[in-house]
Amino acid sequence: MQELLKSFLGDNALVYIIMGVPPLIFILLYALVTLYMEMKVSAHIQDRVAYMRTGWHGVLQPFADILKLIQKEDIIPAQADKLLFTLAPYLVFTGTYAGFAAIPFSEGYIGSNINLGVFYIVAASSIVVAGLLMSGWASNNKWSLLGAMRSAAQIVSYEIPSALAILVAVMITGSLNLNDVSKFQEGGLFNWVVFGGPLPLLQKLAIIPFTATAFFILLTAGIAEANRTPFDLPEAESELVQGFNTEYSGMKFAIFYVAEYANMFLVSAVAVCLFLGGWQSPFGSALSGPIWGVFWIVIKGMAFVFFQIWLRWTLPRLRVDQLMYVSWKVMTPMLFVCVFAVGLILVL
Amino acid sequence: MDLATVIFYVFVLITLGSAAVVVVSRNIVRAAFALLFTLFGVAAMYAFLMADFLAVTQLLVYVGGILVLLIFGVMLTNRQISVDIKTGTVQTWLAALIVAALGGTLAGIVWSTQWNILSQPPAETAGAPKIGEMFLGSYLLPFEIASAVLLVALIGAALIARRERTS
Amino acid sequence: MATALKIYFTDIYRALYTVAVGLKLTFLHLFTPSVTIQYPDVKLKLPERARNRLYVNIDDCIGCDQCSMACPVDCITIQTIKSTPDVDLGTTSGGNKKRLYVSQFDIDIAKCCYCGLCVYPCPTECIVMTDVYEFAEFDRQNLLYNFSSMTPAEITVAKEKAKKAEEEAAAKKAAAAAAPKPPAAPGTPPPAAPTTPGT
Repeated sequence: MQELLKSFLGDNALVYIIMGVPPLIFILLYALVTLYMEMKVSAHIQDRVAYMRTGWHGVLQPFADILKLIQKEDIIPAQADKLLFTLAPYLVFTGTYAGFAAIPFSEGYIGSNINLGVFYIVAASSIVVAGLLMSGWASNNKWSLLGAMRSAAQIVSYEIPSALAILVAVMITGSLNLNDVSKFQEGGLFNWVVFGGPLPLLQKLAIIPFTATAFFILLTAGIAEANRTPFDLPEAESELVQGFNTEYSGMKFAIFYVAEYANMFLVSAVAVCLFLGGWQSPFGSALSGPIWGVFWIVIKGMAFVFFQIWLRWTLPRLRVDQLMYVSWKVMTPMLFVCVFAVGLILVL
Repeated sequence: MDLATVIFYVFVLITLGSAAVVVVSRNIVRAAFALLFTLFGVAAMYAFLMADFLAVTQLLVYVGGILVLLIFGVMLTNRQISVDIKTGTVQTWLAALIVAALGGTLAGIVWSTQWNILSQPPAETAGAPKIGEMFLGSYLLPFEIASAVLLVALIGAALIARRERTS
Repeated sequence: MATALKIYFTDIYRALYTVAVGLKLTFLHLFTPSVTIQYPDVKLKLPERARNRLYVNIDDCIGCDQCSMACPVDCITIQTIKSTPDVDLGTTSGGNKKRLYVSQFDIDIAKCCYCGLCVYPCPTECIVMTDVYEFAEFDRQNLLYNFSSMTPAEITVAKEKAKKAEEEAAAKKAAAAAAPKPPAAPGTPPPAAPTTPGT
């Protein structure tokens, strides 16, 4: 797609700006769909039905919700730091949106085809941490501050297992660029990294337990980084009102919301690209191509977004010490074992 | 002017402007958050120099690590949030002299250096693979020593921070 | 050491196992038919003796005022006018003869506490609780239900007639009072007891 645009516009910075638009459109559409999905799945798990009155089975409700948020009064608390308060939601969204630049939506489309790919995504998500801290401090509210601190501590801790899990996949594929990683997994379901990638059979069988563990841990760490239940301590309603976005209303709250949803997809998409073949079709060459690529990556990503929602209504919230225990004493040592074992298997 | 140049100058403006805020701001938390934009702007400069690994590392280490740590520190020492830092000027003339000398030296270096300006950006960036090979190849010993030093620092910090268990 | 390791791994195993069990349960619930009743479209049948809006069958009302007196919140207001012997107000469905015009029978349903106490004393069973529960109004005044079927003109006529009859009766009484008193009925005690014990 980049080459196509370049042939029209020449080698111009405008090309890169246009390249940045599709993820933004995708995030906005996806947020609407996920809003609906979250409500419906939540309701059906609890034997309810959720929206039923706006359109067929309430499909128009997300639009109504967004309209409501746009119309709402944008309240800035009198004692808040107005500049930082206004800046924070945009910073959080920027961090998440920046991550989308390295997600290959299909063979032909990737926002920025840099070599560093995943490493860049991990780095970009650190802007989110700063944004959360900013929102928590600027609100001048103890709940917000505590929520932001918890959130930052949580994201920083879970970056370590997720980076190590990424390392496991990267060791096999030999590239940080998610597009190359996806290309590497060509040839159907069993060539995906979670099944050992296109390695000789013996190596593959030896490697599967470790890749599967790494994939599972990456997914769990992703849920923690997206601040979703059971790791939603930063937003723990029963103790912290709404965490860092307690004081936010109207459009700013909507931006936080969209950023959270976008982050859910981002972590899913990274896991999908690294372990489940990204835009590769599970049936080998059948149903593959640039358009099918978009379909596959979105379907796979949405499956894990669904999984996150599903998990939300299954597990209660963890305690802070349990959260840290899982990260430092379970996931990190296990991943060290995985990294070591995968390295060993690849060398032998 | 080329759009890329405009973007470059926007980043320059962000870097310098936020750096000025860091120095001038009386509010310590605002100064810390302004530092975020400075570091981000510097990362953008690296990206413009085609050093993408350095840019991303800058973002990860400085923004994600050091800055968050700094903000945590500032927030946890809550007495400093409410207290404004005194930013008065003391010994104006002496300071101006030193600043002039320092600035002059820097400007002199910038002017006198023979910059190796490439007519075209390099086709391939000296990205992660090359850096990785160097770390694990010719520079293995310094790399390992640095890791060992960091490990020692980590253990030491844990030991100091840990409360003595009274049995 | 070995036991600590064992506990560590059993904990991990148990965490994963219990999460899997929970996920299975919630997944099954995803396909359980929902229990929601979509109220305005689907309505549950109320129990037979549900107490909701009051209804008065004014044709059966004899104006006895017992419901009004039973009401703990005074939400029923009844005014009656005596009828003259020459008019026939008809009978209730139970066969009782009606002797009073019911000129006003107001129920302020906003005050009603749905206790049903007004229903039991009614001799003709004309005040009942129905199963109608959707009677929200925008104006509170609309919750004041008038059950009387009489028009203002009819009320004036009836009132005048009643007044006239009363006056006639009063006149008759006065005439009767003017006439010599009939002797006291046998068995009645004398007006003042001559002796009081204990004094």
